[in-house]
Amino acid sequence: MSLENIVNETKAYYCLECGKCTGSCPISRVNKGYSPRLTVEKALLGFDKELLADGGIWSCMTCNLCKDRCPSNVDYTKFIRYARAEALKTGYTGNCTHGGVLSSLMRIMGNPNLKQDRLGWVSDNLKISEKGDILYFTGCLPYFETLFKDIGVNSLDIARSTVKILNRIGIKPVVMPDERCCGHDLFWTGDLENFEKIAKLNVGLIRGTGAKKVIFSCPECYRTFKQDYSEYVDMDFELVHISEFLAEKIDEGKIDFGSLEEDVTYQDPCRLGRHLGVYDPPRKVISSIQGIGLIEMEHSRERSICCGTSTWTNCDRFSEQIQKERLKEAKAAADTLITACPKCQIHLSCAMKSKTPIDEVKIKDFSVLVASAMGLGDDP
Amino acid sequence: MEEKEIRIGVFICHCGTNIGGSVDVPAVVEYAKHLPNVVHAERNLYTCADDGLTAIKNAIKQHKLNRVIVASCTPRTHEPLFRSTCEEAGLNKYLFEFVNIREHCSWVHMKDTEGATEKTKELVRMGVARATLLEPQEEMKIDVEQSAMVIGGGIAGITAAKTLANQGFDVYLVEKEAVLGGMLRNLYRLFPTGEDSLDSLQPSIAAVEGHEKIKVFSSCELKEVKGYIGNFDVTLLREGKEVNFKVGTIIVATGAMEFEPKGHYGYGKYDHVITQMQLEKLLKDGQLKKSDSVVMIQCVGAKGEEVSYCSRICCMVAIKNAMLIKEINPDADIHILHNDIQAYGAEYEELYNKAREMGIRFIKYTPESPPCVTMDGEKLKVEVYNELFGEQFMLGTDLVVLSTPLVQHQGGVEISKLLRVPLGKDKFFFEAHVKLRPVDFATDGIFLCGTAHGPAEVAESVSQALAAASGAGIPLSRGFVQIEAISVKVDLEACIGCGFCVEMCPYQALDMVDGKLEIIEALCKGCGTCVATCPTGALEQRHYQNNQIISQIKSIFHPVIE
Amino acid sequence: MVDDVLVIGGGVAGIQASIDLAGRGLKVYLVERFPSIGGKMAQLDKTFPTGDCSICILAPKMMECFSHENIDVLTHAEVKGVSGNAGDFRVKILKKPRYVDEEKCTGCGDCVSACPYINLPDEFDMALRSRGNIFIPFLQAVPRVVMVDREHCVKCGNCQVICDAGAIDLYQKPEEIEIHVGAIIVACGFDSFDPSGIKEYGYGRYKNVITALEYERLVCASGPTGGHLDRPSDKKTPNSIAFIQCVGSRDVNHNPYCSSVCCMHATKEAILAKEHYPSMENYIFYTDMRAFGKGFQEYVDRAKNEYEVRYIRSKPGEITEDKETKNPVIWYDDTVTRQVKRLEVGLVVLCTALVPSKGIKELADVLGVELDKNRFFKIADPLYAPLDSSREGILVCGYCQGPKDIPEAVTQAKGAAARAAEVLACLGA
Repeated sequence: MSLENIVNETKAYYCLECGKCTGSCPISRVNKGYSPRLTVEKALLGFDKELLADGGIWSCMTCNLCKDRCPSNVDYTKFIRYARAEALKTGYTGNCTHGGVLSSLMRIMGNPNLKQDRLGWVSDNLKISEKGDILYFTGCLPYFETLFKDIGVNSLDIARSTVKILNRIGIKPVVMPDERCCGHDLFWTGDLENFEKIAKLNVGLIRGTGAKKVIFSCPECYRTFKQDYSEYVDMDFELVHISEFLAEKIDEGKIDFGSLEEDVTYQDPCRLGRHLGVYDPPRKVISSIQGIGLIEMEHSRERSICCGTSTWTNCDRFSEQIQKERLKEAKAAADTLITACPKCQIHLSCAMKSKTPIDEVKIKDFSVLVASAMGLGDDP
Repeated sequence: MEEKEIRIGVFICHCGTNIGGSVDVPAVVEYAKHLPNVVHAERNLYTCADDGLTAIKNAIKQHKLNRVIVASCTPRTHEPLFRSTCEEAGLNKYLFEFVNIREHCSWVHMKDTEGATEKTKELVRMGVARATLLEPQEEMKIDVEQSAMVIGGGIAGITAAKTLANQGFDVYLVEKEAVLGGMLRNLYRLFPTGEDSLDSLQPSIAAVEGHEKIKVFSSCELKEVKGYIGNFDVTLLREGKEVNFKVGTIIVATGAMEFEPKGHYGYGKYDHVITQMQLEKLLKDGQLKKSDSVVMIQCVGAKGEEVSYCSRICCMVAIKNAMLIKEINPDADIHILHNDIQAYGAEYEELYNKAREMGIRFIKYTPESPPCVTMDGEKLKVEVYNELFGEQFMLGTDLVVLSTPLVQHQGGVEISKLLRVPLGKDKFFFEAHVKLRPVDFATDGIFLCGTAHGPAEVAESVSQALAAASGAGIPLSRGFVQIEAISVKVDLEACIGCGFCVEMCPYQALDMVDGKLEIIEALCKGCGTCVATCPTGALEQRHYQNNQIISQIKSIFHPVIE
Repeated sequence: MVDDVLVIGGGVAGIQASIDLAGRGLKVYLVERFPSIGGKMAQLDKTFPTGDCSICILAPKMMECFSHENIDVLTHAEVKGVSGNAGDFRVKILKKPRYVDEEKCTGCGDCVSACPYINLPDEFDMALRSRGNIFIPFLQAVPRVVMVDREHCVKCGNCQVICDAGAIDLYQKPEEIEIHVGAIIVACGFDSFDPSGIKEYGYGRYKNVITALEYERLVCASGPTGGHLDRPSDKKTPNSIAFIQCVGSRDVNHNPYCSSVCCMHATKEAILAKEHYPSMENYIFYTDMRAFGKGFQEYVDRAKNEYEVRYIRSKPGEITEDKETKNPVIWYDDTVTRQVKRLEVGLVVLCTALVPSKGIKELADVLGVELDKNRFFKIADPLYAPLDSSREGILVCGYCQGPKDIPEAVTQAKGAAARAAEVLACLGA
């Protein structure tokens, strides 16, 4: 897509150059060289080459803070996504953290003949099915487990906790052995070709299980299915985040919590919060746990701050600054931070391990918290 | 004045606790009873309530009062009420005196009853001193000629004339050009309807020209206007001959003109540097050459040394014309260089967005480093520092259009002298009060509208014209004007004809005719400026006579108790 | 065919239209929803660019209107039904009970001090002060008559005991009045946009973030603080104030239009702060400085040069709060220097959008006239009939037909009066 088309598609021509985006942007606040406003103006004033070559477009966390606040409704997040796709064609790309291993994995998953064994984590006490109404989409958790164990993040705990919770309320979810990564990061870094392959594969696989409802514990998978797959493939099953699913079950009286004497705060993942507007269900579930105190951070809900980096790209000292600020805010609220996104957990945990340490904040996943409140925490 | 015993009645109001709470009212009543000429004093819980008013009327009859004083709140709200109460009891309303003991006393000395009571006594004493010298006055009623003159036949003048005529009044519409229509004749299409300017104007022109109540004097010059509200004598010059008529009110709708940007951005030096008005004409005549690239520069001559104001309409004129060029040539590259876009209100903001959508680009420049227009071979070159992007831009272009402010023209300046109505610092006509009297002059009976008042677009001019017609129509429909009897009188024996007072009068109520002062009572507002100016004391203001005021002041220092 | 006229809305526009019509000898009914006439102008401190005290120049007009023999002022009343056509409208008006006999009440205020329940937010003072269950709408209210808030009143009877005039009637009933008029002028004004939905600016979350209308009351000598600029958190005078333009206006998520008056009222408000406190630092955050009226640009120039008001071209991204000092902190992209900056100030004033008044849709339905897409009254012709509504005989003026300042509203009000007279004259002919 040409830059002119990107301007038209994202209605960037309505930009009044008011600067509200840049004034809102968590990156601009720490990185003086980055400005969403000037990025848009480059496109408007015909500085196409400079724009595509600008590393800044890969720094954007696509957190939607500026998009939601823009008085002219310029969709900067979309603008960045299109610009990245265009830059990729021109040969530019962002700095992939982790040596590109995660994006390579994603591309490999586009291959329909790929054979995976994804269910190694399903221990005997977890009840799953091959076919059924309800499917649990695990996403990248098995890979994250391998990659991020060294920073103390056991991502598969999320998957195990989710299955345990579902089992407790009488559900034996389908978990697919050959599920693919949802393709979120490919989509947001401009590799639409591989994204399309993955989308089609995943939807085909889910159809094969007969599932009517798909539950996600990862907000990125959830948003990708909910908003981005539909451009490429039709879906005839319901999509729901675990927090929404549980909030409903609480209303139906199907969940019994034990007591947890703990103050916690909650990190709204950008995809779940601003992208999809899911603010209340996770709060409702957390607040339903007896003895727990949910204390909001200075920036929460619509104003929540991103965990500092996205799509494993351009994670740098500025990301770390954002993460540390966020952790300080969390600490001011409570000793434990709950997040509903495995990536938030990884990014914030990583910042905790940095060379200049900060006050310890316990970072816990939402499903893990819920499982332990239901007395399911200590099982292997 | 008839020599007769002065009999003053004093009514002191408690105003609930507003006065009674911090003033010892019974003590003030006792005090008042002993002041000179006071034959009756009483207090009321609320003098303004029905029983209070009845008490006044009864006392006037019973005690044969010929002066009444109410000491209570403010004349701003209550003087008319007490004056009419006196009239109902057969007392001339100018024999009523108001003493404000609430705003001027009880409210400001709330915690000091003793002090407040003493001050109230002093205020009442002063009131008595003045009331003793009050004289009855008769108010003047002036008949109003049932017609109006509208000066200027642009859209404002046309609208004002039509409205007044439709209300049944005779209207004289005076235009210096041969045809009606004014500035709109020179424009191409109008926002927001997209109508052709002249076409859209034609029905209004036809309505005015065919109206039985309207006499159109085109190609006419105003020579002289004499008189005052209700009775203006007008002399026009038509083909060198004088035409005379009489009108009750006058509306000034003389319009404005485009500032000529001589010496700005190569105007007058390069052929393809033109003004918005010239662009309108090119568009209208279909003479605009295909322009692949156009640059418009805003605020040329405005918001600066030559013209200090923002001309209000130029941003939208530029945007509208840019869009019209885009309609003719969708691929045209158009840049508008501005120093803040004035897209006020709902429709303009929408149009501004539409222009962006059409691909018109806006660059904010700083007045400190304005754009620079030069010739680069065959093409014009505009250099501009984009303040918000932080870079110098070079724009090669076929056409540079300068948006210049509307300014007053010589004709307007002359009308101002002729009618003796003021111009402001911006040279536009200056209204009586910027906020609340936007279409009135301080001089009664003369009104203004349209761009004579300042830059305005069509709907704003039309609204102003209707407003001016409202003002001008009120005295016409009433048939008379009543003048409060506070005008100035002259003792011609004492007047030395120096004329200082004539210069000082803000209402043109004074005139020196053959060395003798003439007072146009209808115009006098009773401000007293002339009285204070007069070196010989020849002037005296009704109801605020020197002796009344002086005795009031003296009484502060000379407490006289009978 | 009758030539009486109904004016709806008792703000400066409605008052002016009524005075002009009455001056012609026409009978006018002025209906105002609130218990006093005066409208929003009565709430302002001073007016730009002349610095006139708003209520001081308005009060005489309020009184002139109220005491005019040709004007029947109906306050605390609403128009409930309109039938018929131009020249012959039948109008139903509901006079809501104020639980006080307007004829008997002298406005002394004794009952106000007798009421033991002084804990309701005072509407006129933007809830910056408490009022009792019985109250006078404001100091200069016209008519100066008390009113009982029956929703909260516990009927203790203290007010009835103290009222010598016997004016209080806690069992007053609503009254329906039918009038017959030839033309209707609508001047129902505007409301201030509630900025609490714009989460990033913290209104409602941070005490020292207030709206411009709240500021007008704070800085007003007859306001709740007697004109002392006591900021809400600690009742102390701030050292600096930031005014933020276009809060909820020029914003497609809220109101896409420009509210037209905020650049100027912010300039005036900054000047007032400097006049009250010479060491005050003032900042105005704007996108386009819209100083397009008579003398406005010169006023802004004076604010910059004489009053040292600092104009910053930026729409702030976010306001946070210093937890210790409760000072608001503004995060913004200074678009001229292209730097993201942080500015800590003592008080933030949000210059919020002005929006069509509450109930405009219902009123439009009752009148049978159309609204435009921004919910202002639609006008018949945007060029040549700017004061005619979509229905003959019904005229619209002031802010209710689109953003405008006081002189423009007054101009339109007078214009609407002339149009009403013209319509009636033409129908009669």
